[in-house]
Amino acid sequence: MRIGVPKSRFFFPDEFKILFFIVFCLLAVSFLGQYSAFNGEFNGFVQKHLIRIAAGLIIMLLAYLVAFSVWSNFAYVFYAFALLSLIVVSILGSIKSGAQRWIDFHLFTFQPSELMKLALILALAKYYSLLSSFETREPKNHIFPFILTLLPSVLVLKQPDLGTAGILFCVGVCMIFLSGFPLKIFGALIVGGLSLCPFGWFFLYDYQKKRILSFLNPDYDPLGAGYHVLQSKIAIGSGHIFGRGFLKGTQSKLNFLPEKNTDFIFTTIAEEIGFIGAFFIILLFCALTIYFFWVASEARRPFPWLLCHGLGVLLFLHVFVNIAMVMGIIPTVGIPLPFLSYGGSSLITFMISCGLVMSALSHRKIAHKRVKN
Amino acid sequence: MLASEKSKKDRKTRAKIVTLLMVILSLMLLAKLYVLQIRSSEKYSLMSDKNRIRLSPVLPKRGRIITSDGKIVAGSVHRYKLVMDYCSDKTFGEDLNLLDMCLKLSDPEKQRIIEARSRARPHMSFVIKEGLSWEEYASVSMNLFKFNNLSLETVYVRNYTMPLEFSHVIGYTGKSDDAIQILTGKNGVEAFLNDQLIGTIGSLQTEVNALAKKMRITDFVEPENGADMVLTLDSEIQKYVYDLISEEKAGACVVLDILNGEIVAMASVPGFDANLVSNKMTPRQWKSIVADQLFPLINRAAVCVYPPGSVFKIVVAFAALSEGVIAPGDRISCFGGVKQDDRVFHCWNRNGHGSLDVCGALSWSCDCFFFEVARRLGIEKIVKYAKKFGFGSKIGIELPNEGAGLLPTKSWKFLRYGTIWKPYETMIVGIGQGALLSTLLQTAVMIGKIYTSDYNFTPTMIKGKKKEWAAAPIDPKPLETIKKALRQVCLCGTASRSCNADYGISGKTGSSQVRKIKTEEAGVSQKKFDWKFRDHAFFVGCAPHNAPRYVVAVLIEHGGGGGAVAAPIARKVFDKLMESQR
Repeated sequence: MRIGVPKSRFFFPDEFKILFFIVFCLLAVSFLGQYSAFNGEFNGFVQKHLIRIAAGLIIMLLAYLVAFSVWSNFAYVFYAFALLSLIVVSILGSIKSGAQRWIDFHLFTFQPSELMKLALILALAKYYSLLSSFETREPKNHIFPFILTLLPSVLVLKQPDLGTAGILFCVGVCMIFLSGFPLKIFGALIVGGLSLCPFGWFFLYDYQKKRILSFLNPDYDPLGAGYHVLQSKIAIGSGHIFGRGFLKGTQSKLNFLPEKNTDFIFTTIAEEIGFIGAFFIILLFCALTIYFFWVASEARRPFPWLLCHGLGVLLFLHVFVNIAMVMGIIPTVGIPLPFLSYGGSSLITFMISCGLVMSALSHRKIAHKRVKN
Repeated sequence: MLASEKSKKDRKTRAKIVTLLMVILSLMLLAKLYVLQIRSSEKYSLMSDKNRIRLSPVLPKRGRIITSDGKIVAGSVHRYKLVMDYCSDKTFGEDLNLLDMCLKLSDPEKQRIIEARSRARPHMSFVIKEGLSWEEYASVSMNLFKFNNLSLETVYVRNYTMPLEFSHVIGYTGKSDDAIQILTGKNGVEAFLNDQLIGTIGSLQTEVNALAKKMRITDFVEPENGADMVLTLDSEIQKYVYDLISEEKAGACVVLDILNGEIVAMASVPGFDANLVSNKMTPRQWKSIVADQLFPLINRAAVCVYPPGSVFKIVVAFAALSEGVIAPGDRISCFGGVKQDDRVFHCWNRNGHGSLDVCGALSWSCDCFFFEVARRLGIEKIVKYAKKFGFGSKIGIELPNEGAGLLPTKSWKFLRYGTIWKPYETMIVGIGQGALLSTLLQTAVMIGKIYTSDYNFTPTMIKGKKKEWAAAPIDPKPLETIKKALRQVCLCGTASRSCNADYGISGKTGSSQVRKIKTEEAGVSQKKFDWKFRDHAFFVGCAPHNAPRYVVAVLIEHGGGGGAVAAPIARKVFDKLMESQR
């Protein structure tokens, strides 16, 4: 086990340039988007966001510089720590009434569910990397990873944070599927799970029910639950091909658009830069996901292979759920848009993801060199 | 090794499935983005504009109404209005408390403001108080910056400087029925010339934020103020005439200048306070106006119709002379009554006038003479000439709902009552009674036609809008006889006691009955009857004699005898006109 930075790891392979380009573009959009969402003022919030971007970049490099084996070796430790903080949060939440998703350290707030996303992927990748391909065909070997997935999902659902819980669960299921879970049983479980969905209605909170109702019928409550999405659709739609122009979006500047910095940041940007800009942003996210998958396909070992796939799925699910939500394809769930939404936890999660993917790629390079040598 | 290869392949397939799923989901996003931003963009752009753009009208200043002597009788003065923008409950409460400190609101006033807020359309501003006093205005405007949603607006209200004298001519204004609530003429010249007076409404387009707070002005179209209108009426004469008539209970007076067809004065008594009716008045004030037994809202000069009485004899005499039914020298004897259809129709002088020619009959207003003339003429011929002199139809004065009067004919009676016209009815119409009805203005115009020798003479009330008409000359021969007779009325006839002036007045008195006189009441003084049973007193005349210029028509409702009541008033009006010699 090596902890530290070997000399040979300071190099940046050419393939990194693509990643840097995509991430740089996204961070630039992020800064300009937040600047615009704060009504074109370079105020404290925008400065804070800029600092977070810088911090994120450093954390990405740190994550890259940590020896790749550390992630593999400490995967379960991370998982245990994340699960523990989730439990702490839910206990704190039951003490204070209402939603509790953060731990306040006074200097910064910490969101265990964000940490859990990475920890779950690492733990699952670790688990399956120890299984032989023969063993993965046994359904009983998938029970433990399923429990690993279900535990945090339920805890997060209790916060209550339906969106994050759903994403954790989907990422977990996706990874179980990728690792070779028998196809037939998987198909049967999916069908069975979907048929049980209607019963889930009774476990939903009132505000969640309202959101689903107003999604199915936008006229259900146009000034209440449906208001956010309606205003978001108006903003996106009024953008047309070229948008209303930077800092000229009326829906966001006149506050018709709620949550314009966080969950609805895509709307804020799409209103101002139009179809062409919004298309480009979606393309950037797709490119990043494909880059993650490409790195996975380059991997020689199961751990980085599964890790990169998991991170790609995590990234894409966030992008899809958020953008689909602001365009009214799916009901309202509070999922931030990676890199672009205001807030530190999400940004850092995805910066670490990038660092991990870089690390996985360079690890492959070293492996190559060793083979050559 | 083989198993390892197989599992590798399996993993690749699974990765491809996951990738494919992501591609499908991405295409879904792009498709929805296309639908929103390109296909339905227009719809959402409209909705976006609807969110933020507010259009509010900017009212113009209503045109003034000025008399021919330059007095502004109707103008606009500005008042202050307190308006509150649509706001949240919290800021509303703060503003209300602040307003309470400024204005010392009473509880019902507060309640009213809260109600006004609940009634206001969502996201629209509403009026809190109109017509602020100077102290209230000062108090609010000093603290205006402290309020969240309050603004002071200036509105124009109508101000009449001679509200009673001109009440029927100028009319009054009120707010329009639509949402804009612009001042609109509701009666009189205000209503008739509303299109010119009202001006063009401007608009203010503002951008508001989600809390309906105005952020900036995006467009402003300036309103165009209404045009000033100059009347032919003379404020001095109008006031003089109004005060004169006001000495009686109710009546009217019309003064025409036949040289240019202008109406110099048109007064109806009692008048009403146009300022009160135009602006806010209490229900009690309105009730007192409506319930008044003298009906102050009615224009007695041009809208209300009366039996013209003896004044109509001019038309009958002219018709008889023109049709050759009588010659100027022909005499008819009056014995104080005529028997027709088994009934006796009395002359006003039950002792009889003796033998009279047409001049004498007009100057003494002998009823028997005209019973006979009317019998000879027949109703059709009377109506034919009455029409020519402007009876039975509207004159075309610049007032809404002008009275048309009524010319009874055989067919009219049949259609109206389903009975046959009887000969005695022709006789009664011959002395201006019966079903015959006319406005005071129509009798004045009749005199105007005689002294301009023009059937098409039409008066006007608006300066510089002299009506153009093709002259239709009246046959001069019978006209001379009529003019001579009218002169005689004032020299030695029914109006000789009051209208024998140096400058020479010609005219005709009239006392129109409002009910049948019973036999035992014959010769009883009018003053002993109840007011509402007394005769209407008429006088129409023209002066000066050698150069006819002014026509004066006076009506005293239930005044009694025309010679005794109406003629002296007309004389005073003539004196005033001669003195001022406009």
